[in-house]
Amino acid sequence: MFDFTVAGHVIPLFLLVLTGFTVGIVGGFFGVGGGYMVTPALIVFGFPGYMASGTDACHIAGKAVISSIRHRQLGNIDWTIALAMVGGTMLGVELGVRLLVYTKNIGLSSVVLLAASVLVMFGLFLYTQIETIKSSKKIAEETAAGRTIGRELKVSTIPKLFQAISILPIIKARTARLVISMWVIVIVGVLTGILAGFLGVGGGFIRVPALVYVVGTTSHLAVGTDLVEIVVSGGYGALRQSMEGNVDFMAVFFMIIGAMLGAQFGSLATSFVRGPAIRYILSYSLILATTGALLRLIYVLTGGTVEFLAFFAVVFTLGEMIFLCLFIVSLVLFSVRHKHGKWVPPWVPPLVVKD
Amino acid sequence: MRWFIDNMFGYWILLLVISCGISAICYEVFLRHLMK
Repeated sequence: MFDFTVAGHVIPLFLLVLTGFTVGIVGGFFGVGGGYMVTPALIVFGFPGYMASGTDACHIAGKAVISSIRHRQLGNIDWTIALAMVGGTMLGVELGVRLLVYTKNIGLSSVVLLAASVLVMFGLFLYTQIETIKSSKKIAEETAAGRTIGRELKVSTIPKLFQAISILPIIKARTARLVISMWVIVIVGVLTGILAGFLGVGGGFIRVPALVYVVGTTSHLAVGTDLVEIVVSGGYGALRQSMEGNVDFMAVFFMIIGAMLGAQFGSLATSFVRGPAIRYILSYSLILATTGALLRLIYVLTGGTVEFLAFFAVVFTLGEMIFLCLFIVSLVLFSVRHKHGKWVPPWVPPLVVKD
Repeated sequence: MRWFIDNMFGYWILLLVISCGISAICYEVFLRHLMK
């Protein structure tokens, strides 16, 4: 097996390709860059924290370009919102990278990144669980009332509060069909940018919910618009991380090879599966990734002496990636069967698009 | 076995067991000696 040396640590090459492939599928499918799982995963596989963050940022930029092209073809991008958010995103990324460099200089980048990843992912897990329950209730109500369930479900009234803020300049997003203060979008950009710069992620796992529940776009528009933002945050983040010496370009190269294949499939998959189903999968993958990162964090804090912690960290982290791939591929296959009127398990029809 | 297909929770468990099994094999074969 080909092994790969990064900052003195040896990593099997196939893990880099597999990681790229998985986040390629997930990124194209959810619109999130998949970075929330890559940085802790690379640390679990043996990368130093700062190298994981830098390498993740670089690979995400390349992958987001591929996914953005696909989503532009599907009409899933609101360019007004995307361009309004760019400045805020870049400022946020700069602040985030500076914070990472500080933790690197004091020798705590792995510990701090793992701890931050655990907190972020567990918070997201709780949040998506609540949203999933709301969506399920909405589907049950619509079905009971005999109404057809569309591709998108509106379950929150929070965007109306933010759209009512009247601080100038106000922008009109034609594709998303909404009017909102530009400052709301800029602040979303800054906050997600800080996370993106620090964790080396695209920030999509925060930005997509923020676009849906703060700005008020649909899930599919949020996915496409966020990918444009990831091109910017990933590109600028990659530049800054490179300047700080946090990037291994050969590792990035192999991850992008996997990501190219995964992103194409993931983007296509959005045409087959409903928004709530996206949140279902995201929610359960998060708890696996969180457990893996937490075990690795304990392993690092105990001085690397308890081997079974490293074992289970890998099992949960790698298992989460394989689980996501298998679930998404099988859901698309079930969707195709459903379209052709063939038998599918009874839980599948509410999750897939038939028309 | 049918329960693992007809029930979404069962289907998740099935996929999870398969995924974690593959991961455990990967650790033993490719990663264990590198972690030491």
